[in-house]
Amino acid sequence: MSGPELTGDRGGLAAGGPLPPDVDLGRVWLGVATQVWRRRPGRVERLAGRLLRSPGLARALVTTPSLLLGWVIATVVLLAAGAVATRASGTPWVALCAPALAAAGIAYAYGPGIDPAWELSCSMAVSDRMVLLVRALALFGLNALLGVAASAVSGAAAALTFGWLIPMTAMCGLALATATVARSANAGVAAGLAGWVIAVLAGKAVDGHVLTAITDSALVLPYLAIAACGTAIAVYMTRIPRGTA
Amino acid sequence: MNIETAGLIRRFGRTEAVAGVDLQAGPGVFGLLGPNGAGKTTLLRMMATVIPPSSGTLRLLGRDPGAFGPRREIRRRLGYLPQSLGYYPSFTVLEFIEYFALLKELPPARVPGAVAAAVEQVGLGDKARAKLRTLSGGMLRRVGIAQAIVNEPELLLLDEPTAGLDPEQRVSFRAMLRDLGQRASVVVSTHLVEDVGAACTEVALMHQGKIVFRGTPDELTARGVAGGAGDAPLERGYTAVLAEARS
Amino acid sequence: MAYCNRGEMDDDGLIAAVAAGDDRALRELLSRHGPWLAARLRRVLPAAEVEDVLQETFLAVWRGAAGYRPAGSAGGWLWGIARRQAALWLRRRGPAELALPAVPADGRAPADPAEAALQHAELADAVNALGPAGGAQREVWQLMYVEDRPVAEVAELMGVPEGTVKSRAYRARRLMRAALRREPVRDGGGR
Repeated sequence: MSGPELTGDRGGLAAGGPLPPDVDLGRVWLGVATQVWRRRPGRVERLAGRLLRSPGLARALVTTPSLLLGWVIATVVLLAAGAVATRASGTPWVALCAPALAAAGIAYAYGPGIDPAWELSCSMAVSDRMVLLVRALALFGLNALLGVAASAVSGAAAALTFGWLIPMTAMCGLALATATVARSANAGVAAGLAGWVIAVLAGKAVDGHVLTAITDSALVLPYLAIAACGTAIAVYMTRIPRGTA
Repeated sequence: MNIETAGLIRRFGRTEAVAGVDLQAGPGVFGLLGPNGAGKTTLLRMMATVIPPSSGTLRLLGRDPGAFGPRREIRRRLGYLPQSLGYYPSFTVLEFIEYFALLKELPPARVPGAVAAAVEQVGLGDKARAKLRTLSGGMLRRVGIAQAIVNEPELLLLDEPTAGLDPEQRVSFRAMLRDLGQRASVVVSTHLVEDVGAACTEVALMHQGKIVFRGTPDELTARGVAGGAGDAPLERGYTAVLAEARS
Repeated sequence: MAYCNRGEMDDDGLIAAVAAGDDRALRELLSRHGPWLAARLRRVLPAAEVEDVLQETFLAVWRGAAGYRPAGSAGGWLWGIARRQAALWLRRRGPAELALPAVPADGRAPADPAEAALQHAELADAVNALGPAGGAQREVWQLMYVEDRPVAEVAELMGVPEGTVKSRAYRARRLMRAALRREPVRDGGGR
């Protein structure tokens, strides 16, 4: 299984003669390859490693599918578009879109739905639950930050700027639970989107306002309950991965 | 003793995938044979601390995997290759192996050297920087073996490791197993009876969740002398023992 | 990187590939040149240090391949890097560690024992390039350049015409120069 021997021309009469028998070129190559192949972590990863006190956890964090640069840029673009649309039309698109975006991001964070090496991840010293927790929190925080920024830029009222954070938590919990139970990130996204659309439309049907789903304070407790249940389900599902013999 | 089990049972619903296994193993290479559904993969998953036992006792590397702290210590010294290992298509060979080296909490200073050594040991030096989606099935299997050995584990669990490897690679792989078996307990679950005969110091045969044979490959061969289906001596022993177990 | 058989590439091509970030080309270079570099270093360094110096050498090759000018000889360039690394090690350790005595023929203590040891190693290699002891080129080298005899005397001792001595001496010089610079000898066969 070792690669081609690095002995070169052992019987050679090239000036200098053949390889001395007590010199191991394989060992030399290993030392060279260690330096040539090494990966140097970026600043974000190094900082995360120090904060989390675990280089493994930091690496898991920066490789989160929905925290990769492409995804983050897409989120920023969508929220920026929402902000512009809000300024133009008066309808607070940011508040309406943010929960769904966050839910999608969370579904693509971790778990059997998105990790093809899930079985192996369950045997790691850095536990899969720690990774899930760190990724979900990071994602939630990032989405909340971007959403609030977009909301403020769009000139919405303070209540709206923050009001959607709680429904967002609920949708994230719903998406995460679905993704882990169904072992499919897409199912999680679908559940999060569907749940939010239903909530918004139901609010509109009741009140005539499309924003009822966000502004109605009676909904706060149900939202939080959904968030808590969703999280509990995800935690439970990652404790005993279902197996077949 | 690196592995100690007594009355190990694992249920899924009403079926007992593992129905009472008693095992002690120190350093060496152990082959785990048996037909599909015999419980080999479930046993391996319990030893890899991926699933807990339903009942019975299990001690790995002298520790109890039921408790959080000891389980983490076991996992740092563990290497596991599942039967079907998915991969991250955009990762390179080096990135994949390094990722799991970090998750096994290998000290960061030692990681680059360990990764390079693992890559060279499985003969993927030429493909070190290739993306995983460009590799063949056999090469991906070797990547899987590399991540299992990167932390020089004391307990190495390999589920069908030689799938997709050509005969020359299998020879090298067996040599690597023998070398690793000097210091560690290596458990290889395989369908290929010849793999077992060549590399293993001991063999266990599983049938319907129980171990029906435990001994050296020669002893298994001896069981087949009286008569058993198969082209090779070890195969005959295998089928003879299974026939007995089924009757 | 497109598939190419690095085993068939020439040294200049390999070094250019290394400059472009090809780690397999680096490995091929080590496979080709490692043996003779190790042999030369082994004359002045213990085995474990040879491995370390070779490692540092090829890491320096990895970092500095862009600075190589193909006009020169790859072997000479590589030896230059290895030499610097070896000299660093030797100066750190001091003359007691030198594998060979570094006292030159005129008895004066060398200004830099490390340098002397390395030159000795290079010279020993180059002399080896003249062929086996007792061969025509070696004999000419020994008689004309080490013992400093005139051409007529050498011709008499070797039992060949003076013209033959001169052409053998010419060939010996060419072989030495090529060996010292690690170039392939460009002329045809000699006598």
